[in-house]
Amino acid sequence: MAAEKTKSILVVGGGMSGISTALEAAEVGYEVILVEKNPYLGGRVTQLNKYFPKLCPPNCGLEINFRRIKNNPRIKFYTFAEVEKISGSEGDFDVTVKLNPRYVNENCTACNACVDVCPYERPNDFNLGMDKTKAIYLPQDFSFPMRYVIDDKYCKKEECAKCKEVCTYNAIDLDMKAQSLSLKVGSIVWATGWNPYDAARMDNLGFGKYQNVITNMMMERLAAQNGPTIGKILRPSDGKEVSKVAFVQCAGSRDENHLPYCSYICCLASIKQASYIREQYPEALVTIFYIDIRTPGRYERVYLKAQKDEKITFFKGKVAKIEEDPATKDLTVTAEDALTAKKIHEKFDLVVLATGMAPSTQKWKVPANISYDTDGFITSNSGVNGMYAAGCALKPLDVYSTVQGSTAAALKAMQSLVRR
Amino acid sequence: MSDQLIKPDLNFVKDVIASGGESLKKCFQCATCSVVCNLSPDDKPFPRKEMIYAQWGLKDKLFSNPDIWLCHQCSDCTAYCPRGAKPGEVLNAVRKLSIQNYSVPRFLGKAVGSPSYLVLLFAIPVVVFLVLLASLGHLSISDIPRAANGSISYAKFLPSLYIDSVFMPIAIFAVVVFALGISRYWKDLTSGAGMEPKGGLLNTIIATIGTILSHKQFKKCEVTKDRQISHLLVFYSFIGLAITTAWAVAYLYGPAIMKLLGMKPFSWLLGESPYPLTDPLKWLANISALALIVGITLVVSNRLKNKEKAGKGSYFDWLFISVVYLVALSGILAEVFRLADIAILAYPVYFIHLVVVFFLFIYAPFSKMAHMVYRATAMVFAKSTGREI
Repeated sequence: MAAEKTKSILVVGGGMSGISTALEAAEVGYEVILVEKNPYLGGRVTQLNKYFPKLCPPNCGLEINFRRIKNNPRIKFYTFAEVEKISGSEGDFDVTVKLNPRYVNENCTACNACVDVCPYERPNDFNLGMDKTKAIYLPQDFSFPMRYVIDDKYCKKEECAKCKEVCTYNAIDLDMKAQSLSLKVGSIVWATGWNPYDAARMDNLGFGKYQNVITNMMMERLAAQNGPTIGKILRPSDGKEVSKVAFVQCAGSRDENHLPYCSYICCLASIKQASYIREQYPEALVTIFYIDIRTPGRYERVYLKAQKDEKITFFKGKVAKIEEDPATKDLTVTAEDALTAKKIHEKFDLVVLATGMAPSTQKWKVPANISYDTDGFITSNSGVNGMYAAGCALKPLDVYSTVQGSTAAALKAMQSLVRR
Repeated sequence: MSDQLIKPDLNFVKDVIASGGESLKKCFQCATCSVVCNLSPDDKPFPRKEMIYAQWGLKDKLFSNPDIWLCHQCSDCTAYCPRGAKPGEVLNAVRKLSIQNYSVPRFLGKAVGSPSYLVLLFAIPVVVFLVLLASLGHLSISDIPRAANGSISYAKFLPSLYIDSVFMPIAIFAVVVFALGISRYWKDLTSGAGMEPKGGLLNTIIATIGTILSHKQFKKCEVTKDRQISHLLVFYSFIGLAITTAWAVAYLYGPAIMKLLGMKPFSWLLGESPYPLTDPLKWLANISALALIVGITLVVSNRLKNKEKAGKGSYFDWLFISVVYLVALSGILAEVFRLADIAILAYPVYFIHLVVVFFLFIYAPFSKMAHMVYRATAMVFAKSTGREI
């Protein structure tokens, strides 16, 4: 027999897919290392207000998974970490992981004393830039691990050091440096997930130009209790309650100028978000502008239910023009009703662009010679033995299908370890 | 809504695809096009409905509706189309088929629209002029009579009588074909709209001419906004050259007519060409020719520049552009070589000029040139039936 194979699996990406893959493999008995670039686990799901299929808040499903991780000695996870280099082959990969300095060590109890004294602010990427945090911050209320981070682009370090003075747990280390970690693993699962498509690239929809044109992910944050408005859906320009909201489907999806594919979840997401609005504002009117409503499989029921709501209108025709009234910041949406052949110019308080899912690997490529499809998703055979992709790194998916696919990826990763 | 029986004409679908609308079937009816189009009205906007009519082969619905001509092919629809279905190109192909449908005889329309007939179409004027020149014994360009002052004179090479005996019938043919086409088209428009145009047609025609002269519609284009200038230059230079032609006819026949009427001819009616460069007729002629060459060059450069966003255009477009280019270029060069007294170049270039001008006029009702007539007709009809344009 050749050199002894390692029995470890590396999972890159700590979102729903990566967590599921890691847990499935670890619970069978394999050693798993989970690497996540954010300072917390949970990925995009943590940013949602509610998620399908049961419309539970994200902590509902994630809490159980975090507990499984905590209780399982075979899982080691690193947050704020990136895979830098990979060499070797199936059964015997050498991996270099960079651990970014978070400047806060394990002593942190999340007491928040540091935040109170910190004089510097940074845009809050967790809330998609809709509010700010201090330069030392808790990434989100439900952070796992529950530990603060310093953003070194905004922190003045020793020059200021007010946080360090006030921290009674000796948890702040302003001299922390990036570290390098060498791993030996037998197989690798890329669960690198997705990013919302950059809505500003659709120059006819006014995102980035008009404050009240937001994306669906921003809507999730507005509706979430731990969001910038503490769960109240208020429009960005003046914090006004909303009474008439437009959803623009296929904003960048099914469009060869942007994402040529259907992002699978946006129709459901908009119907779900229409329900957020209807719950908060019983009198509010919602119009969903679509090309085709795609609610696959049993999700059809969600669509049928929304169709019965007389305050929700489904309008067959894509929005291709949005204009702002500079005085009121209201938005006029233009679309042609493909069923009646009439163009409408209708005013709304708020417009939500149902922007699609771009694979994280569309711009950023993994440090291995794997293959991508024309849209930047990792191909299902990955092109390298011992490497697999899971979740939205493969294609746009809902959470439910992601979890199923991750189980499959875990099985393949385990097969790589026992092969021959 | 009552049930409609759809009768698809599959050959029409094939014709659209073959005429530069090959992207037709990519359309999934999202209606982005109708919204980004600044020319499209709110009621029954184009070009989404035209795309499905074309996909379904509903030829009559397309032909009997002025909308295909209200489109000025700004190509904003094509640039924003999420499917690359290129509505601008598809409508362009439909317009070509509409021209072929209304201009008789139809075989000429088919011939002008198809590259396989190109040589034959050019052979006709070549033979006509070769026969005329042979009858004059002017095929060998060495012994062509010259003007009294010894300079090259095209009127001596091919006398005006010959020219007119060729071009007058051509012009009459084109006018008759256009008149027949317009009348058939107008009838179809009326039955398609299910209504007679409202009165005050004269006012509508005047208003339409105003719209055309001002190039107002082109100004609404975004992706191809530069076309406003290039098309304007070509358009006005054609008007300039038309006036030049009429003016030259007055010079040529004016003195004789005045004599016939027993009047003393005005001294400024110069008679037979060539005319001195200082004459106002030559000013207009030369300015128009230069504007035409600049304009058509801009047309080509805009088309190449916008190829990615607006589509590459069809054979039908490029044939017309090429002929206009050749008319302008051969006209200017014929003048230059004449003035430079380079006979060996002057006569052949003038010959080419005659051939391409013949081509431009005789095939005008079947070529892209016909767009001016059919579009103007459609605009008048649309205005007179209350369609906002």
